[in-house]
Amino acid sequence: MGKFWGKSSESQENIRKFKFAMILYYAVIIIGITVFISTSTIFKTDDVLKSKVSELTSALNVQMQMNINSYLSKVETTAALLFAEKEVYLYDATNESNDEYESLNTENFISDKLYSLCIMENFVDFGIVYRNNHTVGKLSNNTKELFGDRLYEDLAASINRERTHDGWFAGYNGNYNRIYYVKRVNDNAVLVTSFYTTELESVFEHPGGIADMEIRLMEASNVIIYSSVENETGTQLGSEISTRIGDHSSATLMDDQYLITVNQCGDNWKVICSVPTQIILKEKNYVEYYILTIGAIAAIIAIGLSIILSFGISGSVDKTFTSLNRKAHIDLLTGVLNKRSFEERVEAILKKAGDAEYYALILIDVDNFKGVNDTLGHAYGDKVLAGVGEILRNTFQPEDTPGRLGGDEFCVLMKMKDADSDAERLAAIDEKCAELGAVFRNTYTGDDKNYKVSASIGVSVYPTKGTSFLELYKKADSALYLSKKKGKDTFTIYSEEQE
Amino acid sequence: MKTKKLLTVLLAMMLFTGCGSDAVVTSYTEPVEISLSWWGNDVRHEYTIAAVKEFEKLHPDIEVNCHYSEWSGYQQRSNAQMASDTEADVMQINYAWIQQYSPDGMGFYDINKVSDYIDLSNFTQEELNFGMQHGSLNAIPIALNTQTVYINKTVYADYGLDVPKTWDDIFEAAKVMNGEVYPLSMVAKSVWFCSVAYAEQQIGKQFMTIEGDINFSAEDIQLMLDFYCRLIHEKVIPQPEYFDQLNMNSGQYAGTVAWISDASSHCSKAIENGYEIVVADYLSDTAEKLKGWYEKPATMYAISKNTSYPEQSAMLLDFLLNSEEMAVLQGVEKGVPVSESARTALAKNDMLTGIQYEAFQKMNDRTKEISLVSPYLENDDLITEFCNAGNAVLYDKISAEEQAKELQKRFQSILAQAKEY
Repeated sequence: MGKFWGKSSESQENIRKFKFAMILYYAVIIIGITVFISTSTIFKTDDVLKSKVSELTSALNVQMQMNINSYLSKVETTAALLFAEKEVYLYDATNESNDEYESLNTENFISDKLYSLCIMENFVDFGIVYRNNHTVGKLSNNTKELFGDRLYEDLAASINRERTHDGWFAGYNGNYNRIYYVKRVNDNAVLVTSFYTTELESVFEHPGGIADMEIRLMEASNVIIYSSVENETGTQLGSEISTRIGDHSSATLMDDQYLITVNQCGDNWKVICSVPTQIILKEKNYVEYYILTIGAIAAIIAIGLSIILSFGISGSVDKTFTSLNRKAHIDLLTGVLNKRSFEERVEAILKKAGDAEYYALILIDVDNFKGVNDTLGHAYGDKVLAGVGEILRNTFQPEDTPGRLGGDEFCVLMKMKDADSDAERLAAIDEKCAELGAVFRNTYTGDDKNYKVSASIGVSVYPTKGTSFLELYKKADSALYLSKKKGKDTFTIYSEEQE
Repeated sequence: MKTKKLLTVLLAMMLFTGCGSDAVVTSYTEPVEISLSWWGNDVRHEYTIAAVKEFEKLHPDIEVNCHYSEWSGYQQRSNAQMASDTEADVMQINYAWIQQYSPDGMGFYDINKVSDYIDLSNFTQEELNFGMQHGSLNAIPIALNTQTVYINKTVYADYGLDVPKTWDDIFEAAKVMNGEVYPLSMVAKSVWFCSVAYAEQQIGKQFMTIEGDINFSAEDIQLMLDFYCRLIHEKVIPQPEYFDQLNMNSGQYAGTVAWISDASSHCSKAIENGYEIVVADYLSDTAEKLKGWYEKPATMYAISKNTSYPEQSAMLLDFLLNSEEMAVLQGVEKGVPVSESARTALAKNDMLTGIQYEAFQKMNDRTKEISLVSPYLENDDLITEFCNAGNAVLYDKISAEEQAKELQKRFQSILAQAKEY
């Protein structure tokens, strides 16, 4: 027989709602905390990353600036060594009074001196140019060809530092293959030194800590003298970088598009290191992705745990609730509904019952129960009552509702088959009551049973004999009375004729 | 109880996965760094750097540092580097340097030891012999070279002159040109080779043996000095110290004597300017007793005996000598390559053309007239001494006879020193 005492569906629903709400609130809190932690971590990481990359780029730029300054300084120092020999810097090839042979020997001497000074350097030019364009030392054909008749004039014009009487330049007539250094030797002579721009590749070589870092050397007019980007040398620095640099000579700048560091070096030139912010953000995106993934996994784990814990807790609550519920509705001795629950349930069933539904309210009274108690004791009497409960549960169907109304009085609301005729229904009641009477008789008859227990039964039928529990009960009780009157151990179905 | 267990497991997982503080170790694979040195002009620098970049692309684990400059002063630098063991791993060298730096064959790395990395089958044994020294393959020739006469036929025609064949033709041309233009021009080394050729043709014996022993007497050397002075005095050539290659472009120099490998740099601009430049016959004397012209490997590649990376150096060497990439970039700038695969690549790309190739063909046609040069004949000190001595005679500071005697002693001394190196 099922849980015929039923459940409080309202309480069950409340528990279910509470459970769902608990999981929902917990999930929202966990997701909120995860989002907060992830976002704040990402922001912090972003700040730290940008700051560190800025510092790294700035340090790299300073290193590049030192490298180029060191390289340019080495060239200037080599040139200055020429002034250790008076014969070299005082000689004037334009002096018409020079002895031709003496001049030849002096120039050979100067030439040897020049070659020995630059012996280990990758200089393209290291020679002296006189006002009459006569040259001594190492002067490449390309330089001679490039400057032509204006060799001395234009080299001398490039001297722009008053204190040291020298100057640097690149891009003469658009040629950026070489970088030139010119120093005044005497009133009629200048020393010219040049090296290939490609030499700067080793000067600006860096360990490549930041991917896609671009390094440029730029002259004051924003023309690129050297670039780590191919085919950029000799072109104007792109506005996307030049506008950001503006007039800064030493700065680190960062916005949504570029991280740029700039430092001044040499002869009013600038070393510029730049990297698109997107490249840095690409690194950041990896970190973001990592943080969000970890956050999502943590949230899923936390929510999963909350569901498991919630089910664990609500399972216990449910169990306790069911137990209490059972105790509140069930007669603990007999295992059937107690009086109040039985009445409520019968009322509820009858209220819901349709016009074509039929029920039989069967009232059962244990015969001679007082005698059992008096003779065999209350303990045995309780056993008998418990046995009655068992008989009712076993004899009736799950859709039927048994209950104990008090003492030795029991009652069952039996569902009748809808399609039966009145006669058939009465026959079915007869059959059920006869079966019940037989079970009672068989249960309490035998060698070890000193006392015979039977049942008197009264029956009223819904809806023909009443539509409420009370009406039906009264009529069943009336029929029961008749059964007692008939000598007990029998059943009576209420009819108006009995009245 | 179950919840407690679950929390313990979770805590343990967190500790294992995220809360440790292991040291971060980042390791790097450093590329092998080797160096390459050469001399030359801008064109050579540009294509060699481009070739090195190609090589580095093919071998990303090898980084090549380039050291290069023009020829002027290069040998002094090379002397210093070789003496101080700071030379590059792979070097472009002159033929004469094998004798100078490796008289016993131990001055350079024996390339035979790394023959697995270089395809030597591209060279005949005769060609490889140029680099053999006491059984050790010290260097491999890039191309063959000889001093060649290039004549601006247009300028000569302007003066009603044919392309010269003899020294007399040259002196005659100088008279006709009357100082307006020089019929020839040359750097000191070419003046030296011309003086040797002239003297050998007159005398009928070689200036020195292949081993570097001088055959010339003081009188013979005087002939060379006289010839030098005559060339300058009669304005056949400008003073070598004042030689300016750019004058060839404008027709100021109506001819030049230079190596085959220098043909392009000396003549291409003049050709671009509309002049017809031809490869003339090797100048001779009407009554010559000897041809007097020499051939040698143009330049060679060698590996430093001190290299830490012989295999990688050999791989670079193979790329520079035999690869199609390098052959196409280089063309015939250094002369027609000796390497068969490089020549094949040039032929395939129709690059065996131009004045340099014509000069190469002239050398091939006259191969019987040309002797193999002694490595000592190119000694820079010999040449400097000769020009200085010639200048002293030219400016009447000393007689040619007296100077020749002095010079002979100086020559002996210089060669003795060179052999002791």
